[in-house]
Amino acid sequence: MTTVLDTLAGAATTEAPAPAAPSRRRRDLWTALAVTLPVLIVQAWNITGYPTVSDDEGTYLAQAWSVQHWHGLAPYTYWYDHPPLGWIQIAMLSWLPALFSSPAHVFTAEMRVVMIPVTAACCLLLFVLARRLGLARWAAGLGVLLFGLSPLSVGLQRELFLDNFAVLWILAALVLAASPRRHLWHHISSGLAAGAAVLSKETMLVALPALVLLLWQRSDRTTRKFSLVGFGSAFALTVAQYPLYALLKNELLPGTGHVSLWGGIAFQLGRAGSGSLLTSGTGSNQTLNSWLYYDHVLIVAGLAAAVAMVASRQLRAVACAVLLFTAVAVRPDAGYLPAMYIIQVLPFLALCIAATAQVLVRTGLHAFPRVGLRPVRWAAVGAVAVLAAGYVVPHWYEGDRTAVTADANAQYDRAVQWIRADIPDPARTRIVVDDAMWLDLVHDGFKPGTGVIWFYKVDLDPAVAHGFPKGWRSLDYIVSTPTLRQDPNSLPTVEQALTHSTVIASFGSGTNLIQIRKIDKSS
Amino acid sequence: MVSSIFMLLVSATLFCMSALTLWWMLHAWRTPEILEGTRFVPSDGAHSLSFSLLVPARHEQEVLRHTIERLLETDYPDYEILVIVGHDDPETAEVAARLAEEHPEQVRVVTDTHAVKNKPKALNSALPHCRGRVVGVFDAEDHVHPDLLSHVDHAFRGDADVVQGGVQLINFHSSWYSLRNCLEYFFWFRSRLHLHASRGFIPLGGNTVFVRTEVLRQAGGWDEQCLAEDCDLGVRLSSQGAKVVVAYDSAMVTREETPDTLYGLLRQRTRWNQGFLQVYRKKDWKQLPTVRQRLLARWTLSTPFLQAFSGVVIPLDVALALFGHLRVSVALASFLPVVPTLATFAFEAVALHDFGLQYGLRVRPWHYVKLIVGGPFYQVVLAAAALRAVWREGRGQRGWELTRHVGAHLTEGA
Repeated sequence: MTTVLDTLAGAATTEAPAPAAPSRRRRDLWTALAVTLPVLIVQAWNITGYPTVSDDEGTYLAQAWSVQHWHGLAPYTYWYDHPPLGWIQIAMLSWLPALFSSPAHVFTAEMRVVMIPVTAACCLLLFVLARRLGLARWAAGLGVLLFGLSPLSVGLQRELFLDNFAVLWILAALVLAASPRRHLWHHISSGLAAGAAVLSKETMLVALPALVLLLWQRSDRTTRKFSLVGFGSAFALTVAQYPLYALLKNELLPGTGHVSLWGGIAFQLGRAGSGSLLTSGTGSNQTLNSWLYYDHVLIVAGLAAAVAMVASRQLRAVACAVLLFTAVAVRPDAGYLPAMYIIQVLPFLALCIAATAQVLVRTGLHAFPRVGLRPVRWAAVGAVAVLAAGYVVPHWYEGDRTAVTADANAQYDRAVQWIRADIPDPARTRIVVDDAMWLDLVHDGFKPGTGVIWFYKVDLDPAVAHGFPKGWRSLDYIVSTPTLRQDPNSLPTVEQALTHSTVIASFGSGTNLIQIRKIDKSS
Repeated sequence: MVSSIFMLLVSATLFCMSALTLWWMLHAWRTPEILEGTRFVPSDGAHSLSFSLLVPARHEQEVLRHTIERLLETDYPDYEILVIVGHDDPETAEVAARLAEEHPEQVRVVTDTHAVKNKPKALNSALPHCRGRVVGVFDAEDHVHPDLLSHVDHAFRGDADVVQGGVQLINFHSSWYSLRNCLEYFFWFRSRLHLHASRGFIPLGGNTVFVRTEVLRQAGGWDEQCLAEDCDLGVRLSSQGAKVVVAYDSAMVTREETPDTLYGLLRQRTRWNQGFLQVYRKKDWKQLPTVRQRLLARWTLSTPFLQAFSGVVIPLDVALALFGHLRVSVALASFLPVVPTLATFAFEAVALHDFGLQYGLRVRPWHYVKLIVGGPFYQVVLAAAALRAVWREGRGQRGWELTRHVGAHLTEGA
C-alpha cells in the first residue's frame, strides 16, 4: 500500500540531494507567489472589520505593548498563562500597522496587519514543505489555497492569536527537517524553530512527535544519531529558556505572595473542562460546531485524507500531526478546548487533502496502463475536479464574502471614539474595560493598569484590587461588552459596578451591545 | 548598566567561542556526503610508492618488539622500517639490533647521537637514511593495521604531499580521564582534522603521518626546538601550500593508549600546549594566503588557552547570573554560553555511542555517566595544563617530558 501510494504520488525523487535546476526553482517560486497572493488579498481586505475583536487579541496586544515599552512581559503581573514569545513577536512587528493605521477603528483591529506577513510566510513555507514531501507543483499550490482561503482560516488567521505564530515556526521546523541536503545545521535549526513554536504557543508540543518522525525519515542512516541529538538539544535548550526565566525570577515553583510557572501550567491543565467534543451541548461541542459552521470541508475532508495518508511514507508525519491534534481534542478526559485550537491543524489538513487529490488524479490518469483511453481519463479527472469545486466554491465564496464585507467591529469603533471625545480628564479617571479596547484607552491618556483596567483583574489580581480600597466605589466608569457580561457571577466587584451604574452611551444591540456606564458612587 | 553591558559582551563572546568550537568538532557529521568523504578510498591493489617507516624508540624495550613484528605483518611489497634508538639507551638498542638481524631486508637501526634527546632530533637523524619515496612516522607502542600502507599509497594518487591517517586511543575503560581522552581523539581524527585539511591549514598528528620524502627534505625535516614538532610540520607544510589528505577508517586507525596516570596526561598536554604556543610564536602560519586560513590558524593554535579561559569564565558567568542580582534579561543572556556547552555534552554522548559501535567495544550506561560527570573535572585538567604550559614557556623550560607507555591498548585492541 505504502509503495503504491508513494509511487502514485510521484514522490520517489526526494532522496537525491541534487540541486534543483534553476528553471524548476523559478517555476516553484512563481507558483508559490501566485497562490500566496490571493490568500493575502482575501486576508487583508477588511481585516479590521471582521471578525469581531476578541478579548484574547486585546490581551496579547496589551502584553506586546508592555514588552515594547519595557514594562515587563505583561501590563499586570505576568502569571505564566502562556510562554511570551508570541506577543514578543507581535511587539517586534508592531511598527508595521503604523504605516497603514487610521483612527477609524479600534486599535486591536488595526494591529491585525501584523498577521499578514505571518500568513505570507506560512503560505510560502507550506508550499516548500509540500514540495519537499514530494507533492507536484499544482498539488502544493492547491494545498496553499486550501490552507489560506477556507473561511475558517480567513477568520482565524486574521486575529492576533499566538497559534498563528506557532504555526509559522512549526512549518519552518518541518521544512528544515525535510531538507534534501540533510545538513546537520538544518536539523539543528529545525530544533530551534520547533522550540520557537512551543514558546509561541505551548500546545504546539502536540505536533512534536510528527516532527521527530519526519526528521527520522529524512535524515541519513549514517548521520541520523547526530541529527537527532542536534535537533533535540536545540529544541530542549530553546524551550528551557522559559523555566530558566521563571527560575531567575524565583517564580518556578509556587510560593506565598508570588505567581509561578508551575501554577500557570497547573491552571491551564486544570481549567474547567469544556466537556466532550462529541457530546452535543458541551462547550467543546459548540466550539466544534462553530468550526464546522465556518468550514466543514477542510475539517471533514482533511481528517479523511489524513487517515488515508498515514499509509504513505512521504505524508505520514503530516498525517500523524492531524491525528495527534485530533486525539488530544477528543480524548475522554479532555480539558478546556479553546476556539483557536484548530489553527494549529489547518496547514496539515490542507496538505493531506492536497496529497490525496494528487494520488487520486494520478490514479485516474495512470492506473491500469494497458487500458489506454487517455481522453476518457482526463475527462473523468476533470469531471471529478469540477464536481468537487462545485461543492466547495459556493460555500467558501459565501464565507469569504462575509469576511471581506462585514463590519463586525462598528460598535467597538464607535464606543472607543465616544470615550475619546466625551470622557474628560482621562489621566485621573478609572475605567473598567475588556482587553480588546484597553490599548486604545492607554493611547487616549488613561493610566495603563490602574486607570484603564482589565475587568477581571479587579477581582482576580490581588495587586490590582489592593489599589481600590473602596471596591467598586473607587471606579469611575465601566464599559459593558459581550465579553464582560459572559460570566458575571464569578466577578463580584464587576457585578456590583454594573449594578450601581447608569448607561451614558450605548452602541449596537442584542448580544453585541456595548454600553458605557458611569458608576454612581453615592448609591 | 556598565556591568550589564560587560556581562552581555562576555556572554556573547563565550557563546560564540563554544558554539564555533562545537560546530568544528562536528564537521564530519554535517552531511552524509561529508562523512562518506572522510574515509579511505578502497585500495585498487596497485602499489606505486615505496615507504620508509620511522619508529623512534626511547626506553621502549618492552613494547618495541611487538610493534615492529606487527608492522612487519604489513601487506605491502616495498617498505623499510628504520628504528631510531639513542646512543645512551642500550636496552632498546639491543632489541632493535636483534630485530634488524632477524629481518635484514626490512629493518634497519639508526642511532641518534644528540646529547639531549627529543623526538624531532631522532626523526631528523633518520631522514638522510630513508630510501623510500614516502616517509611515515609511527610511535614505538603503535598498533598498525596490515593494510594501512596500501590505502595510504592509494590516497597519495593525485597530487597529495601528505597523508594523515587516523590515530585512536582505545582504552576508554581504564579511568575517568581516559574515557574523555579517547573521545577527544575520536572527535579530532574522526572529524576536526578533515575540516583543517579542507581549509588548507592543518596541525598534523604525531604518528600515522606520511610525507613525500622530497617534500620533507625540502622543508628541512622536523624542528628540533619545537615541543610539538608534528603540529609545526603540518603548519609549515600547509603554509607552503602542500596538499594534505586526511583519511579515517575505524578498521585502519593506529591504536594507542592514554597516559597511564593523570599526571602523565597533564605533562603530555602541557608539552602539546607549549608546542602549540611555540608554533604560534614562530609565525610560519602568517604565510597562509587567505585571511580565513590565518584566522583559523590563530584560533586553532590558541585553542588550549581559549579553552582554559572559557573553562574558568563560564562557571563564573553562571554564578554571577544566579547570584549577581542582575536584571532578568541580562541574567538570561548570561546563560547563553551554557547552551553550546550542554549541547557539547549531548554530542559527546552520541559520539561515545558511535565510538563503541565502530570499534566493537561495549559502552555501558555507567560510561555515559562518567563522561558527563567527568567533563568539568577534565576541563580543570586541561586548564591546568594550559596554565602550566604558559608558565614553563615563560620560564624558558623547554625540556621534553616523555609519556610512559604500559601497553594497555595491546590487550584491548586487535
